[in-house]
Amino acid sequence: MNDPMTPPGIDPIDRLAILAAALPGAVVRQRRIAAPFDAVWGVIADMEHATPRYEPGVARVRVIEQHGELLRLLVEDTAGREETMDARLRPGWCIMQSPTTVIAFAARRLGNETLLAHLEHRRVPTPMPRRSESHYRRAVSTKIDRELLAIEMIASQDTN
Amino acid sequence: MWCPPSWKVAGNLPKVPANLPGVDPENVTAAQQGDALALDRLLDELGPYVRRLCARIAPAAADDATQEALLAIFRGLPSLRAPEAIMTWVRSVTVRTAIRLARQHDPDVAAEGTPLDRYASSLEGLVDIDDVLARLPVSQRVVLVLRTRDGLTEQEIATALGIPAGTVKSRLHRARAAFREAWES
Repeated sequence: MNDPMTPPGIDPIDRLAILAAALPGAVVRQRRIAAPFDAVWGVIADMEHATPRYEPGVARVRVIEQHGELLRLLVEDTAGREETMDARLRPGWCIMQSPTTVIAFAARRLGNETLLAHLEHRRVPTPMPRRSESHYRRAVSTKIDRELLAIEMIASQDTN
Repeated sequence: MWCPPSWKVAGNLPKVPANLPGVDPENVTAAQQGDALALDRLLDELGPYVRRLCARIAPAAADDATQEALLAIFRGLPSLRAPEAIMTWVRSVTVRTAIRLARQHDPDVAAEGTPLDRYASSLEGLVDIDDVLARLPVSQRVVLVLRTRDGLTEQEIATALGIPAGTVKSRLHRARAAFREAWES
């Protein structure tokens, strides 16, 4: 019997939803960004220069190793603490992981605009009352929304 | 060459049973423990298989079935007790999801016992086996796909579908007859 065509890859936004399904407590937000895909993804991919511009807790990012899509990053927060992250980066898909945190981005072209989704997840969950949990999720959602807005502004500036 | 701990190159993969093509049980265990890069790799490994199975069982809803099956698989991953049995479990979740979506999207074809004759007038335009398969009732299509495309035994099909092996046998018999009739018409 003949095989069907090679199946298409999973859309990055759908892929992020699948990843989130396996990470209990992960928070995902998305925003339709008024900038072309290449400009938006240029911001995400430029980790060393762009990350401190949209992530308020990060002071510095350095790529210390790279092999194709796989990277190792040294991330310094605004308090001066350093953490190593393993990452995978390709157009439309970025996932970064440290022993304590998972960060991911996914992007889909929408004509001249871009749908950008952003996931944040704590790998070491702290037991907390339900009320605190919902407060935490709201706080993370607000933080992600601000970051998505900042990315839109950077992408728009870079485009103009 | 450096690579993340969970990102093994193919040459380092441990030997796995024949029914686990390309899936590293150690990677499954890491994924179950919330290693996101292991989950990402697992998605690379499972995605094409889930997609192919959904496209054959639910051709009219392949995209939705693939996404729903993968969501169910990744949501349920922590509860999988035996990482080495992942493909059996993935197959079962995928087949059941695809059947449900096929019945929702194509209720006429999906109806149990729908005679293939009903579609005889449109069979002239068939171009390949997948077209014929797509026109079988879902219950017959799925057993034929699993038997001929995945090479499963009747008992394995019964396990995947959660039905008695005798039911699989009779459905296979009807499916083969219906397929032959459609193919030769």
